[in-house]
Amino acid sequence: MAGEEIEDIERLIKGDIGKEVFFYESVDSTNTIAAERAEKGAAEGVVVFADSQQKGRGRHGRCWESPSGVNIYMSIILRPEIETKDITLITIMAAIACAHALRRITGLNLTIKWPNDLMVRNKKIGGILTELRTCHGRIIFAILGIGINVNIESNAFPDDIKQIATSIKAETGKPYSRELISAEILNEIDHWYIVLHKKGRETLLSEWQKLTSTLGKKVRVTVDKETFTGLAEAIDDEGMLLLRLPSGVLKRINSGDLIELR
Amino acid sequence: MELEDLKELIQFLKETDITELQIEKEGTKVKIKREKFLSHLEMPLQRPAGLYEKTTETTEEEAQRLITVTSPIVGTFYRAPSPDADPFVEVGLKVKKGQVLCIIEAMKLMNEIESEVDGIVVKGLVENGQPVEYGEPLFLIEPV
Repeated sequence: MAGEEIEDIERLIKGDIGKEVFFYESVDSTNTIAAERAEKGAAEGVVVFADSQQKGRGRHGRCWESPSGVNIYMSIILRPEIETKDITLITIMAAIACAHALRRITGLNLTIKWPNDLMVRNKKIGGILTELRTCHGRIIFAILGIGINVNIESNAFPDDIKQIATSIKAETGKPYSRELISAEILNEIDHWYIVLHKKGRETLLSEWQKLTSTLGKKVRVTVDKETFTGLAEAIDDEGMLLLRLPSGVLKRINSGDLIELR
Repeated sequence: MELEDLKELIQFLKETDITELQIEKEGTKVKIKREKFLSHLEMPLQRPAGLYEKTTETTEEEAQRLITVTSPIVGTFYRAPSPDADPFVEVGLKVKKGQVLCIIEAMKLMNEIESEVDGIVVKGLVENGQPVEYGEPLFLIEPV
């Protein structure tokens, strides 16, 4: 994506999210650039795009595979006016927005794996990692980092993720416009972000439940060095996973690596 | 509902992460609520001093000067940016205002907790990888 494509995106934007976008050829991580801009006072809705990332961030120092010319790597600056304890609704909101945008454009049966992995046929097509900055317990800003595998060929994934990753092109057999998809996602985020601020907890949680593949399945969750296997029974009102362990105990999981078993 | 049933229910809840439960049955209404982080607050003080704590006991006078860093969200506590990396901070070492002390993760949302003062880390109150509640104390910092 270069200058003119950025203009394309800005032309397609309907709300405040994505009204101002910045494009970089290559960065360590769009989240880092967006956080730096937010520190300097960049407004809510500013989006940082990169054609490639050298150190695209995943959980706990893991890398998000970010080759140039094929995929979407973007980070959105948000300054949510919500209670800090409600912040997990941001990740729920982002997953819903991405799922709707991608379903509409591609027609793929895309689902959400708890909490916000974007999945097609049990393979990851997109991921969302949010970084939150707080001071004295209050939210200063949140950086919503989104990576979508758009036109990468299935044989171009590194060996260690080939079995668990896919792309829109690999699933549909045709290439898609990264600008169009980016704009659609940003417009959806704009919509669901407004829902979030209108005390939309119930709406968001029920929408997430319509789009998820996780609930009702037997799952294995690894949290740090501990692993729990059980039935993914429900999410609570913060979006945390309620896992029914074989002992009958209902365990609340706030984060971890989750695998759907069946 | 009989007293025995109630006792059993409370015992059962202790084994879970559930902090609030409301049951309505045959005209009887029972509401059980527990403040989970309070028990966590007491726990580290009872624990014997380990590697993660300063060996000298903090006196009451000292305790008043110390700043307690608390978690702004419910999540999982991480002392290091990745499993094979060094911890952000160690007990006994100096930290600068704005320096990252730890990460709290909730549902793929990472919250880097920064020190609000220049000081010395006196105590770490939570083990790596453990769940923390909203408002739960994480570190004691002695301002310098």
